[in-house]
Amino acid sequence: MQRLMRTATLAAGAVMLLPRASGADGPGEAKVGLPLDVSTEGHRIDALLHQTLVLVGLLFLGMLAWMAYALFRHRQGHSARFERGEGAAGKALPLGMAAFVFLVVDGNLFVKSSRDIDHVFWNFSAVESRPDALRIEVNARQWAWDFRYPGPDGRFDSPDDVITLNELKVPAGRPVVLQIGSTDVIHSFNLPNLRVKVDALPGSISRAWFQATRNGQFELACAQHCGTHHYKMRGLVTVLPEAEFQSWLAEAQAHSLRAFDELDESARWGWSWKDHRP
Amino acid sequence: MSEPYLHPGPTSFWFRYFFSTDHKVIARQFLWSGLSFLLLGGLLAMMIRWQWAYPGQRVPLLGLILGGDGAITPSSYTGLFTMHGLIMVFWAITPLLIGAIGNFCIPLLIGARDMAFPRLNMYSFWTFALSAALVVAAFFAELGPATAGWTTYPPLSTMVGAPSAGQTLMVAALFIVGASTIMGGINYIVTVIRFRAPGMTYMRMPLTVWGLWLTSILNVLFVPILGSAGLLLLLDRLAGTKFFIAGAMVGRAAGDPLLFQHLFWIFGHPEVYILILPAWGVIGDLLSFFARKPAYWYRGTVGAMAAVTIVSGLVYGHHMYVAGISPMLGLGFEILTLAISFPAVVLFVNWLHTVWQGSNRFAVPMLFALGTVFVFGIGGLTGLFLGTISTDVYLHDTIWVVGHFHLTMAAATFLGGLAAIYFWFPKMFGREMDPTLGKLHFWGTIVLLTAVFVAMHVAGYAGQSRRLYDPFQYGFLRHLAPLNRWTSFAAFALGAFQLPFMFNFIKSAFAGKKAGANPWQVGTLEWTHAPSPPPHYNYQAIPTVLRGPHEFSDPAILQALGKDWVGQAEELPSASEAKVAAGA
Ligand SMILES: [Cu+2]
Ligand SMILES: [Cu+2]
Repeated sequence: MQRLMRTATLAAGAVMLLPRASGADGPGEAKVGLPLDVSTEGHRIDALLHQTLVLVGLLFLGMLAWMAYALFRHRQGHSARFERGEGAAGKALPLGMAAFVFLVVDGNLFVKSSRDIDHVFWNFSAVESRPDALRIEVNARQWAWDFRYPGPDGRFDSPDDVITLNELKVPAGRPVVLQIGSTDVIHSFNLPNLRVKVDALPGSISRAWFQATRNGQFELACAQHCGTHHYKMRGLVTVLPEAEFQSWLAEAQAHSLRAFDELDESARWGWSWKDHRP
Repeated sequence: MSEPYLHPGPTSFWFRYFFSTDHKVIARQFLWSGLSFLLLGGLLAMMIRWQWAYPGQRVPLLGLILGGDGAITPSSYTGLFTMHGLIMVFWAITPLLIGAIGNFCIPLLIGARDMAFPRLNMYSFWTFALSAALVVAAFFAELGPATAGWTTYPPLSTMVGAPSAGQTLMVAALFIVGASTIMGGINYIVTVIRFRAPGMTYMRMPLTVWGLWLTSILNVLFVPILGSAGLLLLLDRLAGTKFFIAGAMVGRAAGDPLLFQHLFWIFGHPEVYILILPAWGVIGDLLSFFARKPAYWYRGTVGAMAAVTIVSGLVYGHHMYVAGISPMLGLGFEILTLAISFPAVVLFVNWLHTVWQGSNRFAVPMLFALGTVFVFGIGGLTGLFLGTISTDVYLHDTIWVVGHFHLTMAAATFLGGLAAIYFWFPKMFGREMDPTLGKLHFWGTIVLLTAVFVAMHVAGYAGQSRRLYDPFQYGFLRHLAPLNRWTSFAAFALGAFQLPFMFNFIKSAFAGKKAGANPWQVGTLEWTHAPSPPPHYNYQAIPTVLRGPHEFSDPAILQALGKDWVGQAEELPSASEAKVAAGA
C-alpha cells in the first residue's frame, strides 16, 4: 500500500506530498510530509489524508491522460466528430463519473470522518468520563498562551490555581481535555504533532482533547491571524512521564497560592469548568 | 430597417469615454480598472513572496515604497496580505470577469442593443470608481492600510485589533463596491430575461451568458449579506456599537464575533462561484469553438452550473469547522459540500468530452481555456480535503487552503478571464493581439502558476500556517525554507511573464492589426452580425436566432454551406434547410 501510494502521488505530480513523517524538531530534516504524529488518534486523520491523496492523484492522472490524448491526437488535421452528447449513452459517462467520485471518494471521506468526529475527536463526554482525564483551561491573548491547572482544592478559577505561560505540561498516556477561551481577538489553538486545532474565541469556550504517546517537546502554534505578532504566538507542549508530571504539579501547587496576586486583573481569566459529562 | 431611436453615440470626449451609458465603453472602463488593480495586487503578492523567501530582508526595488530601511515589518506585512486579498477579489477579478466581460458580452451575445438600464450601468461603474478611490486612499491612511486579513474577522477588525483609518476605509470601500456589484447584477439579470433577441431561447444562449447570468443571481442574493456585515462592522468601529465585540472576559459575551463569520461566509462561499461561474461559461463556449465540435451535453452543463449555484448557498459552514461548530451541523455542511463534486464532475467530463475527437486548434484563447480546466481540476480535487471535517482540522489555516483557493478562485478565474480577453479582444478593440506573445504568455503562466500553488499545497500539508510573517520561527517548519524560497522564485518569474501580456495588450489596443468581423469563424451573434468593433447600439437590425451557439462540423451544414460552422441567426438555402432539420 505504501509503495502504491508513493507511486501514485509521485506520478500525480503532487511533487513530494509523501506520507512520511518529518521530525518535530525540524532543523536538518529535508523531507516534506506530515509532521510527526505523537497522539493516540492522529493516525485516523493521517490515514484519511493518505487515502484521499491516492484517490485524487488517480483522478488527476485520468484527467491528464484524457486531455493529453485528446489534444495530441485530435488536432486540426483530424476532422471533428459531430456529436452533442445529449442521448442517454452520451450522458452516461459524465453522470457515471460524477456518481463514482461522489460514492467512492466523497463516500470514503464522509463515512470515515463522521465516524471519527462523532466517536473520537468531538466526543468530549466519553473522554471527560474517563477517570484519568486531565483538565486544563487555556487562555489565548495577543500574543501568548496561558494555561491553568486546578490547585489543591481541585477547582478552577480559585486563588490556588497553577498558571503557566506558553508552556503546556502534560503527562503521556492520559487523555488531556482542554477548554479554551480568548480575552481579546480570535486565535486558534494548533498542535500540529497532536493533530489538534480549534479556534479560541472571545465570549465563548471551545474544547479539544488529545492523548500524547511519547515524551518530548512539541510546538504550539496560533493558526488564526491575530494581529502584528501573530507569527510569534508560539508555545511549547512538554509531554512528561506520569511520575515526573505528578511531581511537577505537586511542586507547582505548593507555591501557587504565593504566586496569586489579588490585584492582577489580567490573571483572573479563568472560569469554573464547564462539565459536559452526560 | 433602421429604427428612429437609434441615434448616433455621443461625440464629446467626456460623454464618449467617461460618462458613457454604452455597455461596450463601460466594459472597457471595468477592464482597464480591473487590470490596473490586478497589477497592484500582483505587486503586493510579489512582496509577500519575497518575505517568505527572505524574511525581514530589504525588498529590492519595491522596498523604496515601504519606507524605513526598505524591509517588510510585521505590521506592514499584515497590511500586504490583507490588501492583496481584498484587492484581488473585489477590485481585480470581479471587475474583470463580471464588470468587463459581463458588460461586453451579455448584450452582444443575446442580440440586444444595450443593457436594460444603461444609466444604472454607468452608475455601477462610477460607484465602483468611488470604492476604488477609497482603496487607494487606504494605502496613505494614518496608521496604514487594512490589516485584519481579507476575511476581516472581528474583533481583530474592530478598533480593538485594527485602529488604522485604512481599515475603516476598506470596510467602507467593501460596502460601496458591493452596492456597485448589486446594481450590475440587477441590470444583467433583467437584460437576460427581457432583452434576448427573438428566437434566443434560454437553451440557445451561449454558456458564457449562462455563467454571467447565474453569477448575477448569486450577486444579488448574497452581496447584500456582505454589505450588512460590513455596515454592522462600520458601526462597531465608528459608533461604539458592539455587534461583534464580546468584551474582555472569557465566557461572558456582549456581542458575538461568530455572527460576523456566519454573515461573511454565507456570502463568502457563493463568492467563490460568483467569480468562477463566468469563467466556466467562457471555457464551455471556447472549448467548443476551438474544438469545432458542439459543446458536449450542453443541457447537462447548464444544469450542473445551475445546481452549483443553488447548492453554493448551503455549504458555507465548511469555513467554520474549527470555530466550535456542533458535530451534527458540521456533518450536515460536510455532506452538502462534498455533494458539490457531483455537478462539478459533470461539468468537467463535459469539457473533456468536448475536446475529445475534436479538430482542436490551439489558438491563444483555447490554450487559456484548457489551462483553466487544468488548474481548476487540481484545485477542485484539493478542495475535497477541506470539505471534510477531520482532514480540514489538520489543514485548516495552513497554506494548503491558500494554494487551494488560489487555484480555484484566482488561477482558474485569471486564466478564464485571460481566455475571454484574448478571445473578445478583436471584437472589443477592432484589432488583433499578437499570437506569438500570447503563446509565450500562456506557457510561462500555466507552468509557473501551477508550480507556485501546488508547492503551497506541499508546504501546507507539512503544516505551514498561512499569514505568518516569518514561518520559520517554528522549528517544525524550518525545513520548509528552501521550498518557500523556490516557490517565491517561481512566483517572481510568473510576475515577469505578465510583461509580454501587458505589452501585447497595450500595443494591440492602439496599434494592432485591424481585425475582421469574425476572425475565429464562430456562429454567435457578435461575430456574425456586427463589425469589429460593433457600432453604438450594436445591431442595426436585431437578428432572429434560429439555433444554438455551438453548431460545428454538422455534415449537413458542411454540405450545404461548405464550412464547418453556421451562425446562430444564419439562414440556410431553403433546400438544405429541410435536410438539416431532418438529419440533426
Ligand atoms: Cu493568536
Ligand atoms: Cu466555501
